[in-house]
Formats: sequence, C-alpha cells, structure tokens
Amino acid sequence: MSPPVKILSVVVFLFAVFVAVPVMITVTGRTDFYYTLTSVALLSIASAGVWLTFYIGRINIGQGAYSLLGGYASAILVVDYGWSFWLTIPAAGLLCAGVSILVGLPILRLRGVYFAMVTLVFTEVARLLALALPVTGGATGMTSIPLPGAVSIFGLTIIPDFASLENPRLAFYLLAVTLMVLCFAAMYRIVHSRIGRLCQSLQQNEELASSIGVNIVYLRLIAYAISSFLGGVGGVIFVAISQSIYPSSFTVTDSVNFMLNCFLGGLGYVFGPMLGTLVLYFGWDLLFEAGRFQLLIYSSVMIVLILVLPNGLLSLGLILRRKV
Amino acid sequence: MEQVIVNGFYLGAQYALIALGLTLIFALMNVLNFAHGQMYVLGGFISYTIYGKLGLPFVVALISSGVTLAIVGALFERFLFRTVIKRSLREESTMLLAAATAFFLDAVILLLFGEKQRGVPKIVKGVYNDGNLIMPYDRMVVGILAIAFIAGFILYMKYSRPGRAMRALAQDRVAAQLMGVEVDRYTMIGFALGAMLAGIVGGLLVAITGINSGIGGPISIKAFLMVMIGGAGVVGGAIAGGFILGMLESVGLTVLREFGDVTYLVIFAALMVFLSIRPNGLMGKPWG
Amino acid sequence: MTLISSLSRRALLGAVAIMAVAVASPALANEKLKIGFVGVTSGPAAAWGTSNVRSMQTRAAWLNETGGVKIGDKTYDIEIVTFDDQKDPKRAIEGMEKMAQAGIRYVVGPNVDDGAAAVRPVAEKNGIIYFPYAFPKSLYTKPASNAVLGMIANYQSGPAIYKYLKENKGVKKVAFVAANESDPLSQRDGGVAAAKALGLEVVADKDTYQNDTRDFTPVLTPIVQLKPDLLVLSGVAPANAPLLIRAARELGYTGLISTETAQDAKVLEEGAGELANGFISVGGASTPEIASDTMKEFVDRYTKMFGEYNDESNTKVYALEYIIETLKADPAAINDVEAFKKTMDSFSAANPYMKGDAKLSYVGTTSFGQKRQVAVPMVVNVYKDGKFETLFVGTVD
Repeated sequence: MSPPVKILSVVVFLFAVFVAVPVMITVTGRTDFYYTLTSVALLSIASAGVWLTFYIGRINIGQGAYSLLGGYASAILVVDYGWSFWLTIPAAGLLCAGVSILVGLPILRLRGVYFAMVTLVFTEVARLLALALPVTGGATGMTSIPLPGAVSIFGLTIIPDFASLENPRLAFYLLAVTLMVLCFAAMYRIVHSRIGRLCQSLQQNEELASSIGVNIVYLRLIAYAISSFLGGVGGVIFVAISQSIYPSSFTVTDSVNFMLNCFLGGLGYVFGPMLGTLVLYFGWDLLFEAGRFQLLIYSSVMIVLILVLPNGLLSLGLILRRKV
Repeated sequence: MEQVIVNGFYLGAQYALIALGLTLIFALMNVLNFAHGQMYVLGGFISYTIYGKLGLPFVVALISSGVTLAIVGALFERFLFRTVIKRSLREESTMLLAAATAFFLDAVILLLFGEKQRGVPKIVKGVYNDGNLIMPYDRMVVGILAIAFIAGFILYMKYSRPGRAMRALAQDRVAAQLMGVEVDRYTMIGFALGAMLAGIVGGLLVAITGINSGIGGPISIKAFLMVMIGGAGVVGGAIAGGFILGMLESVGLTVLREFGDVTYLVIFAALMVFLSIRPNGLMGKPWG
Repeated sequence: MTLISSLSRRALLGAVAIMAVAVASPALANEKLKIGFVGVTSGPAAAWGTSNVRSMQTRAAWLNETGGVKIGDKTYDIEIVTFDDQKDPKRAIEGMEKMAQAGIRYVVGPNVDDGAAAVRPVAEKNGIIYFPYAFPKSLYTKPASNAVLGMIANYQSGPAIYKYLKENKGVKKVAFVAANESDPLSQRDGGVAAAKALGLEVVADKDTYQNDTRDFTPVLTPIVQLKPDLLVLSGVAPANAPLLIRAARELGYTGLISTETAQDAKVLEEGAGELANGFISVGGASTPEIASDTMKEFVDRYTKMFGEYNDESNTKVYALEYIIETLKADPAAINDVEAFKKTMDSFSAANPYMKGDAKLSYVGTTSFGQKRQVAVPMVVNVYKDGKFETLFVGTVD
C-alpha cells in the first residue's frame, strides 16, 4: 500500500469505529450490538497478544490465564485497596507482564505443541489458583465491583463516572475500541520495527537467529510479556462490564478461542486477530436465531472458510491481487 | 495402598489407549487432533446405541464403533486435512481445522444423541473383593481389553506392511516418499486408524463410565496431557504418558487429599515443571 | 479494513431483515408475549439449560394450543426466545443484551453462579427480571432486586435433608465431595456448615474432582475408607451422579448417598442401575404421590415433543408458570418490572402441578430478607428401580 492509501484507510477505519458504528446503532436501535462489538474489541486485544507469540513461532493457548489474572488484579485493587479503575488497567497489565516473565523463563524454551500444551495447562492452573488463593474470594468469586469512576484534571472532567451514565454501554464501547486502536497501532509499530523483524527471524529459525547474534531469550521474553500485558488489559475491562469475576470467567475455552481468532484472521497479518475475532464472535452471535442448529451451522461455515482460505481470511486480498 | 496402585494401573490402561490414536495422527501429519475427544464420544454413542439400545452383543458394538470412526477419519483426512495441509503456509493452521471439526462433531452428536448422560447395562456383573483389594469384574475385562488393543496396535505397527510404511512416514516423510511409500494413501490409513482407536476406546469405556455428548473437549485435553508427558508422536511415549497420568491422579488424590482443594493444582503445576525440565516429554522427538 | 465496517453493516441489515420478516408474517389472532431464556444448552452442562428450554417450550406450545394466555383484556401467545451462553459469563451478558433488544422483560436463567452475577448489571439497567438457577445470596438480597431464585437453594434443602437423615436413619458421620468449580464448592461449604450446625461429624470436607473426571474410583477410594454414614455429592452434575454412585458402591460403600440438586431417573438407571437405589436428591413434583393431572399431562406432552422426559424439569417447569401467573395477577407488569416486583410481595395462585391445594407464591424472606424466590415444593426424593419416590416434602419460607 502506498502511504496516502494507508493514511486514508486508517482514517476510514477510525471514522468507522468511532462515528459510523455508533451512528448506525443509534439509527437502527440495535443497542445490543454495543456489547457485541465491545466484546469483539476486547477479545481482539487479547488475541493480538496471542498473535504476537505466534509471530515468534509459539502456539500460545494460555492467554486466558492472563486475562483472568488481569481481571482479578483490577478487581482486588479497586475493591480492597480503593484504587481508581483507570490506574488498574496499566497496573494489571504490568503485573501480567511481570508474571509472564517468571513463567516464560522456563517454558519459552519449549516449542511447537509442547509450548501449546504447557500454556494450556497454565490456564487451568490459573483457574485452580483463583479457586484456592484466599485473596480472590475463592469459589464465591467477587461481585458488586463498582463501575469505573470519573477522571478529572484541574477540576475538568475528562471521563465521567460510568455509574452516573444513563447506560454505560456506549462508554464501554468507546473505551474498548480506543484500547483496541492503541493496541493494534502498537502492534503495527512493533512488527515494522527492528524488533519485529528479529521476531520474524525467530519464527523461521531460532538457531540461525541465535548464531548471527540475536539475543533470542530476551526477544522471546519481551514478546511474551507484551502478549500477556494485552491479555491482562482485555480481562480488566470485561470485569468492569460484568462487575464481577469468578475463577471461571476466563477458561481453557477462552484460551483456545483466542488462538482460533488468530488462525482465522491469518497468522501473517497484524490485523488478522481483529478480523478473526469479529468473524468468530459476531458469527456465533448472529446465528443465535438458528436455535439448536447454531453450532452445526457455525462449525460448517468455519470448515468451509478454512478450506477456501487456509492461510486466514486476510489472505483473500493476496489471492484477489494475484488474479488481477 | 494396593487399591490405589491398582486404580492407577487400570486408569493408565484406558488413558494409554486414548492417547495412542492422538499420537499416531500427530506423528504422521503433525496435526494436533482437537476432535479426538469428540471421536471418542461418537464411538461411545455408537456402542451405546448398538449394545445398550438394540441389545446386540458388546463385541458387535465395539466393532461398529471402530469401523464407523475409521470411515469418519478417512473422510476427514481425504477431504479436509489433506487440502488444508497442502495449501497452508504454516502447518499449525491445521489446528483451526481440527478445532472446527471438533465443533462440528460436537454439534452433530448433540443433535443426534441428546444432552443426557447415557449408560449401558454392565457387561459382566460382580465385584472381586478379597478384603484388601476391590475390583469389579467389568473393569478387569475392560482393562485387559485395553491392554490387548494396545499390544495389538504395537504389533500391527511393527510387523504389518501398512504399519511399517506409517513408521517410515513418521520418521521422514520425504525419504519415505523417495523409497516408494505411497504417502497420501498411508496418511489416510493412519488418520483412519487414529480415529478408529478413539472410537474403540469410547465404545469400550461406555461399559464403565457411560457417555455424554459434552465431554469431547475435556477428553481431548486429557489426551494432550498424556501425549505431552510421554513425548509427542511416539507410541511408547503415549503409553508411558497414559500410565503416568493415571498413576499420578490415583496416588495424588489419595496422598494430597489432606490439602484439599489444591490436589489438581499440584498435579498440573508439577506437569508444568516437568515439561520445563524435559521440553520434549519423556521420549518425544525434539521438533515437537 | 473497511471490510470490518461493511461486515457489521451487512450484519445489521440482515438482523433488520429477519425482524421485518417476523413482523410481516401473517398476523395471528393473538399478540405474542416473548419470554427469554439465557443459559447453557451445549457442552458438558448442556442438560441443565436444555431441561429449562424444553420445559418452557412444552408449556408454551400447550398454552398456545389451548388458545393462549389471557392477561388483562388481551390474549397472548407465548413465544420462547433462547440464547445459549455456553456456560461463559461473557456470553451470558451478550444473551441478556439480546433479550433487552427484543424487548423481553422476563428471562429464565442463567444456570450457574458466574453467569448470574455477570448479567446483573445489564438486567438492572434494562429493567429485566431474571430467574437464575444459581445460589449466591448476594444475587437476591438488597440492593439486588431483579433476580428471583428459580429453585430451592442447597442451604435451604441441605439442612432439612441432614436433619431428616440424622433423626430417621441414624446418620452420624458425613463426607462431602465436590467438583472443583465455583457452584459445587460453594454448595459444599454451605453443606459442611449445615452439617456441623446439626452436630454431625464431618469426616471429609476437602475432597474435590475435576468436572471432566470419567472414572471416580481414585477420588472415592480414600473417602470410602473413612466409612461415613452419609456421602454428600455437593452440586453434582446429573451426568456425574451415576458415575460417582457406581464407583462408591463398587468400592464397597454401604452408607447413604445424597445431593441437593435435581437429578434425572433415567440417567441414574442407565448409569448405575440398581446401585443407585436409595440415592436421595431434591426434585419438583412429579412423584406419583403428589403429581396432579396437569403435571402428568405436562410430562406426556414433553415426552411427545422431545422423545424423552427429563426429571430436572420437575423443578424447571415452575419459572415460566410463575411469570405468566404473576402477569395475570397484574397485567400492568407486562412492560413494567417494578409493578411485577410489587405484585410479588402479595402474589398467590393455585399450584397446578401438585395435588391438593398447594399455592404458588414468592418466598425467600428468611434467606434473602425479601421475596426473591419461587416457592417450589421441596420434594426430597429417593431413587428406586428407575423411579423417584417421595421421602418427605418440606417448605421454604
């Protein structure tokens, strides 16, 4: 893409998510789509993290653990320590990044399905920890968590108190898509930086990368920490929406879904996880009218999509261009 | 304590059989078959229908489960996995296909067989009890059958022509092809065989634990664990992994019950530590 | 990138088209009254939500066949709108949003604790009354006010069962076993407290299993060796109950086994056979001693519609009945849940599913400080040869 086209598509995209979607929803009255799209935005943030670990050649089925950890961190800081919700977003993210470095040091040496499995087990470990640790409230979870409060600088209210809003759906939507835009802008930046190119060299051949002087241990940890940071942030916002968290709020199923989102969108494309999440999550949602045939139709469509576009939905552009 | 060991051994035998099919498919195609558990469930429901509902002999039910799943497996390989593997840039992409087929089978099974837990009449009545050790006879039969199937599978892989061809494929695909092994044909046979094993073990265990349309996913994950412990893509690894996990659960649940809710936490955490120390499981291939 | 917005736009158009078709279809004599369901109808816990959905669909079809429901001066056909949340609290919120979008005021579900807690903000913001099958007291005590417990909680039935067994069967030692998930663990903790309060000796209160366990022998081996008089399967899933019973019996356990949740006789019969005889659970009102003709017809219609009855529906038949009967008592509540809440305090109607002059009314004052529970007859059942028999009938206030 030439620079003007690139800028234009960014503008169109921003316009779409910040203006067109809210306007469309208001016009059609389908306010339920606010939550749907909020979910898509948040899940795509977590999926973006998983995508980054794919980028260094690791199949990550453990993102649910970090979403759960982030969610609990935020809930505990808000409820027990009286923190502002807004501060808990970076705090929970950083905590996840820190934990991921400790966990990552031993397990990032694993490859292929072994790494996939050990992260899958890690999701279950996180759930069981949430059940067992006293600080989380165990099986009874945490409920009645307050909505995000107001933020003001010099007496000027920048963000209103969510509890005072008529319906916080729009506010959560804007929050989620803002974070999503920031997340994917950062991802795009990372992938096109020196680190990004080094990551790609890891994906292709770690030994070779190492032999030409790439510090692979450091690079893997950085990528995994960023990934986990994003997983944690996604979890934080979900907890704020549901105002509750349980050990089962993020499970193995979520971890697997994050991974599937990346596959469906396309492992070779930064924006793959966003599109993959949209199609998988929204698709399921639209098929709700199908009642008991929902899963059958959903999985059949999924199989057809994979057969047609095994390298992800975004590879469609590539195929079309080649034909032209 | 004898009871605990026997429990673990019995559990291990059935786990090993579950893990075998998964590891075979992985060895041949590098596909982590997410639908393995669903194939197990399908096999279970076929046995349930034939033995439990129609009242035909259990052996007939078991054979039908195996044959049906072999056909399903062959069709999956021929029309889905082969296409995707040939066309995808990264071989992990098959994971999405495997997951989609798992959802598909889940949906079909739920529509066909309903949401209820199902069970069949006991195949053998009675319980062995010498005051020290308790073992129902039907468990003994199932345990012995499981070990027989495992032994049969090993012999088949070792001495039969397709078995040797598949081992060659697993070792080095390109070299095998150069030596004149029909890669496509034996890959399909391998996938069918893996699916058949899942179906057989599902059909076998319906006699003890019944079957339920929702357990496919959890069974797959358990099978993954065993394969990882032993080492992916190695028959011996799957068997070892199955027995180790069975023993770990049995002994762990008894020894750690004092600590209550953390039993499984300890088991899983130990697994993570173990894999960190042995990144390829007990005897896995280094490339995973 | 514009693909995303065009996709969602297409989706919007599609949804609008579906709604347009629904509106345009030939107008029947009766207006539609939509009642929602948000819960789990797929995956390992599918049986819970499925028995809800099927009870609702059976009852709705029956009512519509006989001319609909007269509320105020209008007659309505009941339409059931269902949403499968896959036991995921995030999806449950989605489902509740969908219900709000469809203008639905009364929703049955969700089936588990985390889902019920997660949908609370949406339900309260949108004025939806929902009937969860989850026990946390915080859902029903003030300031929460939109949730109505759709069954009997374990902390209500548990003490009654233990007391009965202590007095009538000489139970002294109790052991608990539960899956390591929120709902069963909370129920176990409640059960342990209740047993201790009654002066029973609790010999095992920490044994757990993974919900995907298929073979329970390793879990139960150490517990059976403690020789309890009563083994409580806290919050056991209907799919796991026969497996646990069978494993315990085959290990030589001879004491009593009980649970506080509803079970299905057919599942027990297939999964454990005669080993399940004597198993105590809590059900609704289909045991022959107390089932009315309406209940029997309900079971017949359910069986005709879906091929097989599920005894969990004995309890689950009630939520829809309560919604409809309360609306009949106060037609203004159709679009106003505040009116519904007011009516709940004084509501009383005949219970069609039980013999005698049993009443439908809202209870829960003792447990929640406000009437936020449907009064389902607390029928403690004992399983015998493929059927449930009534052990005793209790009440909740």
